[in-house]
Amino acid sequence: MKKLLALLLAAVMVFALCACGGSSGSSAPAADSGDAAEAPAADESAAAPAAQSGGSELAGEYAITVWVAEAAVDLTTKQIADFNASNEYGIVFNATVEAVGEGEAATNMITDVEAGGDIYCFAQDQFARLVQAGALSKLGAQAAEFVTANNDAGSVTAATTGGEIFAYPLTADNGYFMYYDKSVIPEEDVDSLEALIADCEEAGMYFSMETDTSAWYMAGFFFGTGCVSEWITDDDGAFVSVNDTFDSPEGLIAVKGMQKLVTSPMYLSSSAGSNFASNAAIVVTGTWDYETVSEILGDNMGATDLPSFEVDGTEYHLGSYSGCKLLGVKPQTDATKAAALHRLAQYLTGEAAQMERFEALSWGPSNLTAQADEEVQANPGLAALIAQSPYSVPQGQIHGSWWDLAKVIATDVEAAQSEEDLQAALDSYRDKISALFEMSEEELNAWSVIGGIAGTSWDTDFPMTEVEPGVFQSDPLDLAAGDELKVRQGASWDVNYGVDGLDGSNLVVDADGTYIVQFDTNTETLSLIEG
Amino acid sequence: MKQYSDLEYLRLSKGRKFLYGLGRFFTAGIPRFFKGIGLAVGRFFKRLGVGIGTELSDLFLTFKNGDWKTRSSYLIMGFGSICRGQVLRGLLFLLFEAVFIVYMLTAGGYWLSMLPSLGKQGPMEVYNEVLDAYTTQYFDNSFKILLYGVLTVFFIIAFLYTWRLNIRQNRIAEDILRSGKRLKSGKDDLRSLVDDQFHKTLLALPLLGILVFTVLPIVFMILVAFTNYDGTHDGYNNNLFTWVGLQNFNTMLSWSGGNKVYAATFGEILVWTLIWAFFATFTNYFLGMFVAMMINKKGIRIKKVWRTILVMTIAIPQFISLLYVSKMFAKNGLINLFLMNMGWIQQALPFWEDPTWARVTVIIINIWIGIPYLMLIATGILMNIPQDLYESSRIDGANAWQQYTKITLPYMLFITGPYLLTSFTSNMNNFNVIYLLTSGGPTNSAASSVAGTAGYTDLLITWLFKITTGAEAQYYLASVVGIMVFVVVALISVIVYNALPSIKNEEDFQ
Repeated sequence: MKKLLALLLAAVMVFALCACGGSSGSSAPAADSGDAAEAPAADESAAAPAAQSGGSELAGEYAITVWVAEAAVDLTTKQIADFNASNEYGIVFNATVEAVGEGEAATNMITDVEAGGDIYCFAQDQFARLVQAGALSKLGAQAAEFVTANNDAGSVTAATTGGEIFAYPLTADNGYFMYYDKSVIPEEDVDSLEALIADCEEAGMYFSMETDTSAWYMAGFFFGTGCVSEWITDDDGAFVSVNDTFDSPEGLIAVKGMQKLVTSPMYLSSSAGSNFASNAAIVVTGTWDYETVSEILGDNMGATDLPSFEVDGTEYHLGSYSGCKLLGVKPQTDATKAAALHRLAQYLTGEAAQMERFEALSWGPSNLTAQADEEVQANPGLAALIAQSPYSVPQGQIHGSWWDLAKVIATDVEAAQSEEDLQAALDSYRDKISALFEMSEEELNAWSVIGGIAGTSWDTDFPMTEVEPGVFQSDPLDLAAGDELKVRQGASWDVNYGVDGLDGSNLVVDADGTYIVQFDTNTETLSLIEG
Repeated sequence: MKQYSDLEYLRLSKGRKFLYGLGRFFTAGIPRFFKGIGLAVGRFFKRLGVGIGTELSDLFLTFKNGDWKTRSSYLIMGFGSICRGQVLRGLLFLLFEAVFIVYMLTAGGYWLSMLPSLGKQGPMEVYNEVLDAYTTQYFDNSFKILLYGVLTVFFIIAFLYTWRLNIRQNRIAEDILRSGKRLKSGKDDLRSLVDDQFHKTLLALPLLGILVFTVLPIVFMILVAFTNYDGTHDGYNNNLFTWVGLQNFNTMLSWSGGNKVYAATFGEILVWTLIWAFFATFTNYFLGMFVAMMINKKGIRIKKVWRTILVMTIAIPQFISLLYVSKMFAKNGLINLFLMNMGWIQQALPFWEDPTWARVTVIIINIWIGIPYLMLIATGILMNIPQDLYESSRIDGANAWQQYTKITLPYMLFITGPYLLTSFTSNMNNFNVIYLLTSGGPTNSAASSVAGTAGYTDLLITWLFKITTGAEAQYYLASVVGIMVFVVVALISVIVYNALPSIKNEEDFQ
């Protein structure tokens, strides 16, 4: 009996272990479907089906998952039902619409693409990361044409990387402007930052703008003085270079303006509309806070464009970012389903759907026809956004690290004692930005093999090591007949060699096998060694 | 530093005794510690070498001296056992071999062959002109290769062990038969599982559980530190990841390389982590003890009410209370607004904005959360201290302070020594308090270019979290940080554990 008890206890312990172990295991990116045998040969041949005119061959039922913001779940369910009823291709979607917020959707997709929704919405700042993560399916020619023709230029830029479009613009209202309490702030002061700060200090109430913790708001000062920060991305969503002038003389003017705000005792680094309930007179935030703010302030609510600040006798109107939300389709293995999903995505981001969304949720449309609608123009939140729009900059693609690198400018400015300190903050920012693309001497001199080899398509450098002075060899590579390759230095095409020397033509592999690629810099010869 | 004899030591003044102790710790204690480790490692390898040697010679001798049944068992596991009538054992061996071979041929071979490269063919984008749609074909999955590769290695080790067991079984069986005794039948084997081999029955499941749910993930996580597994190399959906050797450790410990000064950031966070763990542990410990003593004092009335009030903080989930307190101390939070409305301060106090303020504030808030636990523990222990100790000390003329330092504190330290150690290590990894209160802020502008952008109140564990969820999701660096945390915690634990009075002088209070 005792033994039985002991055995039971042991079993209980195991279950306890499983329980704890399970949760600690899940902190690792999930590895689901442990079917070992299936994975090695997971290629479902996606050969093109027999050619017929598009449309009818898409007919069929598809089970899909759609991720949208919680507020839009009901509307999206209805819109998909409308699509099922009205589309001319005979597509029927059995859609599960789940409430996954825009921020969360991107994080979830990046953590585990396989488990992600087939169609999902996200804020544009996540776009490059999602392309890098392989979580967005590239748009076909017809779909790309649809996006460019129907949406405003800023939104199209937001969905583009390296000349390719990867997502559908859903809204274009991700910008910020100023809400203020009319009972505290006199109407004539709303255009001057200095006057507003003075009003707040006098009233002992906060001027709330999230510059310390969010570079998104912070950057407004720089755009106000004409600085730019533009990032260039390639087809894979990878960042290749940046054009950033925050450390210019205009940048110095911008931080001087910023200094006025952040050193004020009544400055609060926050963008929550609810701050009006806790002693704020001004909050810089966007349309999403409209309900919150109007509930708290009622008739005292004012919403307008951002103010101007004055440095050395010149007025600079605060700039802002204007961004949008995007809708993406997860990469599919089945071409028919992919095409059907893209049809649905076009419907969901089309003019009619965007108008419905505006009417039900007050989401500002990115569609050009919808933008011109009178009702849209009359919406108070959107009106303030429109007033701010001459000063706003389309967000484009931004390196994920930039948000962290840039937001410390505000912290540095807060601590700055002199103009030198301000310039030092900008210089340090400059250094950090450059460091993102910096290569060490060693990396610049390194040789590597690149080509359409081992599943890569001229986008991955295989390192080479120096085996004797001037002779570099790669690790053994599995090459197939017909593969083409070259060697290059410093992972750039400035110095590259093919079979016939500098800038020569590609080396073509004759037969399948494992080879070591050798490059002799003394004789400038490129060769394959069977290994 | 020269070692003094006992007599010489006793003649030293108090200050010199301390200096001497300190000197000896660095000149003798630490070298001895590392010498001890070195010797232990040496012994381990020696024993390992000897062990492998005996195993091999034993394998050879068994083959040489064994009969044909034994010899065939080298190829067909369990053959000897079956021939000698131990059918159950033999079949189990055979079954295991069959499973192993089938597994290796169908899947294991693939995982194992891919383990050195972690995959050769990444995903490919294919354009379907007819449907005007892009599809993606997926091939190797580095993540699964690493996971199942490690599992396969485990399985091979298990197989080798079983194979060895099978051969030893043959030799033992031969010996038994030679001495004229009867071999155990299958029934005997089954019976022994609930009898003299009962421990194996009991431990089989738990061991398997530990292996799969604890050992495997740990090995996997450690291996990740040697790969370039991150957001842009997730091993399946975008790029394969591969082995990079010690490169990540190099990054973490490098002082150079643009502005990415990881070593400085790591050092800064480590120092703060240690400071935090020290204060979080000892402020709670002494204040908790103090509160318990206050409440226990004769003459204090309504003791239960005081205890209940303190225990209330335990009753409310930390997640809620911490988030709430974090808002309370914000620049426009309750506390600042109250102080300003009363006219006591003109400007909001920078609880979360200034590095030093933030660090002190988290420690103080942690006291508020931690005291009740300590009070409960201390109350129990204090009641257990024999009252005659106090009585006799009072007769000897001891005052309250002397009673505390000579009786209460040693007793408490003796009993709660291990608790102090565990609470120190768990405070080093105290994610909740830090992350919910400050999220690691305020931002440290010097550290903004390292992965995860560490702030001033970040502990290693919260930094690790930020690295994995940061812009580039650098799992490999997070894994490196994890390994570092383990090393630091393990070192501290080993040293402190051996110095604990409850370990050193087990007899003291019995």
